Amino acid sequence: MPSYVVMQPTTLCNLDCRYCYLPFRAEDRRMPVEVAQAVAADVNRWAALGRFSVVWHGGEPMAAGREHLGALMAPFSADVEHHVQTNATLIDDRWCDFFAERQIRVSVSVDGPPERNGDRVDRAGRAGYPKIMKGISALKRHGLPFAALCVVTDPKAGQAAGLYHFFVDLGCDVLGINIEEKEGVNDRENSYRSADVRAFWQELTEVWRKAPQIHLREIEWTLRYVQAVLDGQEGELLPRQLDPIPTVGHDGSVLLLSPELAGFTAPGYGDFSSGNVLHAPLSRLLTDPLGTPWVAEFVQGVEACRSRCPYFGFCGGGHAANRFFEHGRFDGTETEHCRNSKISLLEGVLDHARRA
Amino acid sequence: MPEELDRVTVRIRSARVELTALLDEARTARAGRAEAPSADNTAVCAWNHFENIPTFFNWNNRPR
Repeated sequence: MPSYVVMQPTTLCNLDCRYCYLPFRAEDRRMPVEVAQAVAADVNRWAALGRFSVVWHGGEPMAAGREHLGALMAPFSADVEHHVQTNATLIDDRWCDFFAERQIRVSVSVDGPPERNGDRVDRAGRAGYPKIMKGISALKRHGLPFAALCVVTDPKAGQAAGLYHFFVDLGCDVLGINIEEKEGVNDRENSYRSADVRAFWQELTEVWRKAPQIHLREIEWTLRYVQAVLDGQEGELLPRQLDPIPTVGHDGSVLLLSPELAGFTAPGYGDFSSGNVLHAPLSRLLTDPLGTPWVAEFVQGVEACRSRCPYFGFCGGGHAANRFFEHGRFDGTETEHCRNSKISLLEGVLDHARRA
Repeated sequence: MPEELDRVTVRIRSARVELTALLDEARTARAGRAEAPSADNTAVCAWNHFENIPTFFNWNNRPR
């Protein structure tokens, strides 16, 4: 039984960020209510047994409009938690009321101060930053807490401190840092000097330690592993079997791993889906994840990581979409994403601890 | 575990004193943020549910 599902209410995004991986972000391919009803049939049962979240992810979920997003949420029981990952540009008082009425948890995508948001633009090339901040101001005006996700395109020493202070001032309670990834339609290089990336994470750890009021996702992940190693329990941190987290695309197709693969096809892999909730219950699609050939190939890749990478206990094996978009298949091992966001992260935190 | 695969954990253990101080501070910070391992109503965000669950695919399969 999963504990959350990712839903794509529309492929459309009103921004056109230069590093975005989504292939159909200029098209409004909306999820029919029938898809939400089909998902809810299983999710409502699971939510009655334990905490369960539906994460509305895009495109830009709010580009579906309040009426449609509300209609998609309607089939879910009151036990289900709703989360929205948004670029914040469409948030206004009415959206804040919508969030508050449904107790929706909001996470905004913003890359730091204005000069760090140059990639977050609309289709005319206009900066998204003013609208992003206007939307965040609405959240704050309504007293709605929010998380933030930040893409870092130039990880190196000197970049982290100002970035972290921005988010402290912004008032988010949780922050996730994504070093830019080469995925989907984003083919920009993400090969950075490891010393630079490591210095970025070291600096971020240092500045966070001085003002740790934000739950900084990467630091928490790292410290969780470090604690387990010191307790001699690092082998207990990762589950020992496949634990898919399904993504339901706008058309009802289900991907068991990596939402970034939604909307893509490739010879030998098809559309990466394991079925469609309009044709089979979600619970049934989850019963045999290894029956999807590329998932089995991915698991082989994970085992290859386990057998050769000293960071495996921390990482658990490279992310499926990174493997595919960097290597063209799923059974390769180390990716740039591994180096930037796992290896250099752990090493940066260790560098900080040793030098503090 | 083969020696080569153990080199990261060996280095972590060799920095136990420094890391313990960092871990203690992080624990205090978590308490200050009203976060607890089983709390499900704090750090309200789109991430905290699954980001706080240390599972393989939560770590690897996050939406972005």
